[in-house]
Amino acid sequence: MEIRRREFLKIAAGMTGGALLGSHGLDPMFAVPKEVIERMKFGPRVETWKNTTCRLCPGGCGMSVRLIDDVPISVKGNPLNPVNRGGLCPLGLNAVHSLYHPDRVQGPLIRKGSPGSGSWEKTSWQEAFKVISGKLNQLRQEGKSQHVAFLGSDEYGFMRDHIQRFAASYGTPNYFLYSKDSNKRAANFLSHGNRRAPAYDIVNSKLVVTFGANILEEGPSPVYYTKLYSHHNEQQTRYIHIDSRLNLTAANADRWISIRPGTYGALALGVAYVLIREELYDQDFVRAHTHGFDDWMDARGRRHVGFKSTVLSDYYPERVQEFTGVPSSVILELGRELGNSRPSVALCDQAALNHTNGTLTATAVNALNALLGNYEKEGGVYFVDEPPFASFGAAPMDGRSAQAMTQPRVGMPVEAFLPLQECSVKSFSENVLSGRPYPIDVLFLYGGNPLFQSVHHKKFAQALQKIPMVISFDSLLTETGEFAHYVLPDHHFFEAWDIVSNVENVGFTHVAIQQPVMAPMYDTRATGDVLIELARLAEGRVAASFPYGSYDEGIRRALRGVFESGSGAIASEGVGSRWLEFLKQRGWRIDRYSSFEEFWDRLTRYAGWWNPIRSKKHLRSLFQTPSGKFEFYSQTLENMIQAIPTESRDKALRRAGISAGGDTAFLPHYEPVSGESDLPLSMITYQSMSVGDGRGATLPMMQELFGHAVNRHWDSWAEIHPLTAQQYLVKDGEWILVQSSEGTLRIRSKVTEGVMPNVVAIPFGLGHTSGGRYARGHGVNPHSILEGKEDGLSGREAIQATRVRVVAEGRSEF
Amino acid sequence: MDKDEILFKPIYETGRGFYITFGILAVILLWALAMYINQVMVGLGPTGMNQPVTWGFYIVNFVFFIGISHAGTLISAILRLSKAEWRRPITRMAEVITAIVLVIGGLHPILDLGRPDRMMNLLESGRLQSPLLWDVTSITAYFTASTVYLYLPMIPDIARIRDRGGKLKWLYTFMAWGWQGTEYQQKVLNRAINILMVMVIPIAISVHTVISYIFSMTLQPGWHSTIFGPYFVVGAIFSGIAALMIVMMTFRKVYHLETYLKEIHFRYLSTLLLIMSLIWFYFTFSEYLTGVFGSEAHEMEVIKYKFSGPFAPFFWGMVLCNFVLPVTILSFRKFRTMTGIFVASVAVVIGMWLERLIIVVPSLASPRMDVPLGIYVPTILEWSLFAGGIAVFVMGFMLFSKFFPIISIWEIEEGRSHAAKEVEERIASYLPGP
Amino acid sequence: MPKWAMAIDLDKCTGCESCMIACKVENNVAIVDPEQAQAGRVMYWMDMMTAYESEDTQVVRRIVPKPCFHCDEPPCTVVCPVGATYRNPEGIVAQVYHRCIGCRYCMAACPYTAKVFNWYAPKWLEDSACRPNPDVSLRMSGVVEKCSFCSHRLQQIKEIADLEGRRIEDGEYVTACQENCPTDAIVFGDIEDKDSSVYKLSKSYRVKRYMDDLDVKPKVFYLSRRTTE
Repeated sequence: MEIRRREFLKIAAGMTGGALLGSHGLDPMFAVPKEVIERMKFGPRVETWKNTTCRLCPGGCGMSVRLIDDVPISVKGNPLNPVNRGGLCPLGLNAVHSLYHPDRVQGPLIRKGSPGSGSWEKTSWQEAFKVISGKLNQLRQEGKSQHVAFLGSDEYGFMRDHIQRFAASYGTPNYFLYSKDSNKRAANFLSHGNRRAPAYDIVNSKLVVTFGANILEEGPSPVYYTKLYSHHNEQQTRYIHIDSRLNLTAANADRWISIRPGTYGALALGVAYVLIREELYDQDFVRAHTHGFDDWMDARGRRHVGFKSTVLSDYYPERVQEFTGVPSSVILELGRELGNSRPSVALCDQAALNHTNGTLTATAVNALNALLGNYEKEGGVYFVDEPPFASFGAAPMDGRSAQAMTQPRVGMPVEAFLPLQECSVKSFSENVLSGRPYPIDVLFLYGGNPLFQSVHHKKFAQALQKIPMVISFDSLLTETGEFAHYVLPDHHFFEAWDIVSNVENVGFTHVAIQQPVMAPMYDTRATGDVLIELARLAEGRVAASFPYGSYDEGIRRALRGVFESGSGAIASEGVGSRWLEFLKQRGWRIDRYSSFEEFWDRLTRYAGWWNPIRSKKHLRSLFQTPSGKFEFYSQTLENMIQAIPTESRDKALRRAGISAGGDTAFLPHYEPVSGESDLPLSMITYQSMSVGDGRGATLPMMQELFGHAVNRHWDSWAEIHPLTAQQYLVKDGEWILVQSSEGTLRIRSKVTEGVMPNVVAIPFGLGHTSGGRYARGHGVNPHSILEGKEDGLSGREAIQATRVRVVAEGRSEF
Repeated sequence: MDKDEILFKPIYETGRGFYITFGILAVILLWALAMYINQVMVGLGPTGMNQPVTWGFYIVNFVFFIGISHAGTLISAILRLSKAEWRRPITRMAEVITAIVLVIGGLHPILDLGRPDRMMNLLESGRLQSPLLWDVTSITAYFTASTVYLYLPMIPDIARIRDRGGKLKWLYTFMAWGWQGTEYQQKVLNRAINILMVMVIPIAISVHTVISYIFSMTLQPGWHSTIFGPYFVVGAIFSGIAALMIVMMTFRKVYHLETYLKEIHFRYLSTLLLIMSLIWFYFTFSEYLTGVFGSEAHEMEVIKYKFSGPFAPFFWGMVLCNFVLPVTILSFRKFRTMTGIFVASVAVVIGMWLERLIIVVPSLASPRMDVPLGIYVPTILEWSLFAGGIAVFVMGFMLFSKFFPIISIWEIEEGRSHAAKEVEERIASYLPGP
Repeated sequence: MPKWAMAIDLDKCTGCESCMIACKVENNVAIVDPEQAQAGRVMYWMDMMTAYESEDTQVVRRIVPKPCFHCDEPPCTVVCPVGATYRNPEGIVAQVYHRCIGCRYCMAACPYTAKVFNWYAPKWLEDSACRPNPDVSLRMSGVVEKCSFCSHRLQQIKEIADLEGRRIEDGEYVTACQENCPTDAIVFGDIEDKDSSVYKLSKSYRVKRYMDDLDVKPKVFYLSRRTTE
């Protein structure tokens, strides 16, 4: 029998008698200001709906907020929004709770204690502006404006552009995004010559093969994909998912192929082998639009080995089976199916990419799409046009800022690196700690939570403590925000303006409007306006960086361009993509707005604009590579290597994680997982839709939902295959220790066949030390024990590359 | 000096042991009461119940206690009806068990209610179609019948105490109802007892049948079974006899009643217990054989849950306590000593409690849909209320013995004066001849 | 008299769990404490069942949303001692929270484990007079609750339809789970109406009902190509 301490206390309370009624069941779950409560209680109960856009993940789903007496009550999916078409994920449906979260920052704060101590003191906006702009001006006068850095997340709002403008005219090149997708971008840069992520026409495809791309749970916009997936019956689309774990995408796919972590690239090349060997590839496309498929001779007359011969010699199914653990017969089946059921398309993401060889894996999957001739084809891969926003021109720069912009960026490795890299938390932290190339004096944190998510969180924490002034815009404090000296709270997205446009992988141009559905509840300010205010207070010409007086005016001005272009349509009733296509073919436009005001009025009512009609692009203009074609053999990479002085070239290649010599280095190839360890198991992490990148954990309803499928609520668990569990004497549901070289997690086991043997799968998102009362102290954060590995080419953290061992708690020996 | 003076002794003399025991029990009861008040205030949260195990100890104990209550009235009525002469020192105790345990058992569904404040809804808007309301009806009927059936044979004894004078004379005078022992009064009394004893048997059987209907009227695997009615009745009588013997042995020891409760009584009762054990086994066997043989998927899940799943220790413990132990002990003269009988009785009471647990929980804990298996761990609250229930049972007996003789004195006397002759005549009437 | 029924297309459903939260928010279903949730007292009117099965050599994870099945012959209503759960003429199995005595007999009798119980008083906003969704009453401690097919929405639509003197159209009365389902896997409507989409779906060869042999006539049915369910 089990007596829980809590119950015992209750019993004790019962024994002492008296006032125990009040102690139960009446704890407030959400704090709401008094006047809001008054309105809720005594208002006339007038129901209204307002459309806006969800900002709880980068997905950009349209939502309709139900207001009663102007108080948000609940949300539902906006059926007119082309991205989600009325669907919403669990996290989005819970948006109202994030508005009423009791631990929201209600006004500007100054930290008094040590980071994480939670001792904050209230301050006024004026006071905060005075101190911060004083510091900014001082740095600028000293010619140290580059000592100011911005760190943000890669979300698709207008803020990115806005911060960029501020940074440029203030004069700092140090605006970094803590991005999950740098692998994809780097690979696209190598294959396509640009970093843009294409969209995949999975609705019209007959077969969709997802290499670790957990599109239904983790993708940039899971609801968009879920909506597309729901048509798979009418469209007879087959889905095959390749992953180490039976996640939601695998569960819904027609077939799940389990694979060793970090070997997805090898499998893709094994599939390429089948396509080439059986001549199932699109020979016309490969001949006309690719470079480096066959063996070739360069301008200087040197012979180069082509993709074809490399693949045929190195990636025959038996060898790939050895790498991946996927039976050779399955590789043959997969290749044949992919080649024969055209149009077929291959995607890769998350599990496949977040490894030390992620960029190369992505180039291998790009190569598959090239072999299938998928580019700009129905059921294939295509690029979406940018929305026609009005341009504000380059941010004006004075001498100081122009000079500062030429300085090296702090987020980059100091030496011997390929320009393929974007900012990495590791380089940033190392450079801040070493003070090279120059120290950072002020850091602005907007969005993202590297301290919670990053592999290099320890170094990053040290770096944060070294920076004399850290400013966070968190509306709900995050782990990273706890290190800030000042918190200048942003609005909740129900109270603020923004736009979300062209969410990655969404198959059409679109702009979603995020607009206030209620007046701000607390003394918060839109970060965009805070930057405008800081620019105004700054000396020199910084104030001129913003040609608009406020953030929402900027948005309005940007959207004027959309109005003036006359293209596309407001996402309103009765205008479907077929209808638009039909009109377009006959030379009509939907231009029903006599004035911008009318357009604006409708736009804000429906909160979305889209243009499903793509400008037809010729295949020749699609690729910006040196050859102007899809490059199997990446001349971009070759040129980058050539640009590095000969003596440090080997070092650079080693840093980039390329061990293959000769021409293979520039072809998609499989790099064996680096840094082998004596620990027997691989640890993989994944995100669920409810908690996402950890933000969902701040909401009690999401915490409760988190492990519902495995019957664990408000808690993490580690999935282990029955065979592995047997081997390490782990029973289902017991406490186990998962130990890596970086630390140990104490966690409940879940023995399930839904994961590859010799793999431990732990969901990411819980284990917060900040983020409000509901986030703190539940579950564990698997990223806290990750080894500090990264993809050498792109600098993306290798969150799937950690080796661990497990043991049941209480058994001392591992 | 009365021949049966020893039977009056407990009413007039109270030792220290009594107060100490009573005090301990009162503390347990108060603790249980406090726990219950807490439960009323905060809801059923402090229990170990959950979804899908929505019923736990309260319902288990309800069925168990009501089962025990069968000891009494039913056994006494059957023995009276069959004119078993050895019944005379037993009937009173058996009837008291019924009255006390019925109160405890009958209260258990109220402990189980999430909203005890709305109990009156049962009367205001009760639906007679619900088996739970059948229970309410039959338990009330049984309680009324069995208390009257307890009270009537007590009247001559109460009159005796009244006549002896001493404490609480007003109470005994009132309760004796003017009993003078006239022939007419005796005739009326016997008549009333006879009517009641015939009436009480069907009521008693209905009570436990109806309790089984709570389960068997649902569509749940492991519950939905026609055998449940008789199975529960048999189980009830089975546990009732065991409980009766425990009570008898306790009083025999504490109040030195060896001359009244002789070994022969226990031997007879233990034979009855042995028979009931075999019948119980027969029912259990049939019940599970039907399930296993049909091997309907959901039914099998419940059976597996009991046979080899989390409830295996309880299930096999039950088989041990209800069948293996009593049958081995009671079949062999060597083991059939007083200690042996006591051990067997205790085993049967525990075993029958386990049986109730095994009936209630596994069917709920292994739901038919793909939802996680339920786990039920009773909390301190539920254990406390169980302990409280047992405390009330013991205290009830202790109090009863302090006010009334626990063996029917007049019936013993009647046995002494008339019975021998009557039996002789009766036997003669069985034999061939005029 | 219409009879409301729900079809859930398992070939479309991905198991994203949106329906669970849409329902929970719409119907003011309480959030329980972490330890309570772990003890099996988590409350969902719309639940999600997950099972791992082996199909050929493959491991298959099967995900099925599970609301109350609103049986036409509900085993739960017949056992209720006080009439706190009943089947209304439109086929909705309803709960009367203020009459329920909390005996949980209906939960024990439900073959689909569709009901949940308020073990503690549910927690909501600071002030108990505040209603997260003013259309749905808040429950108190010690009563049973379950999916109501969002019948509060039916009340509103009925009023409008009555005022306009017409029948409720197909697709006018939608449940919260249906409304927010990203895959449109949930179809809801009047199964007596031969033109309704739910009626048409009910004639599909893919129709599967849980525990058809019990003949409780559940009005929630599933559509699935898979042969075993």
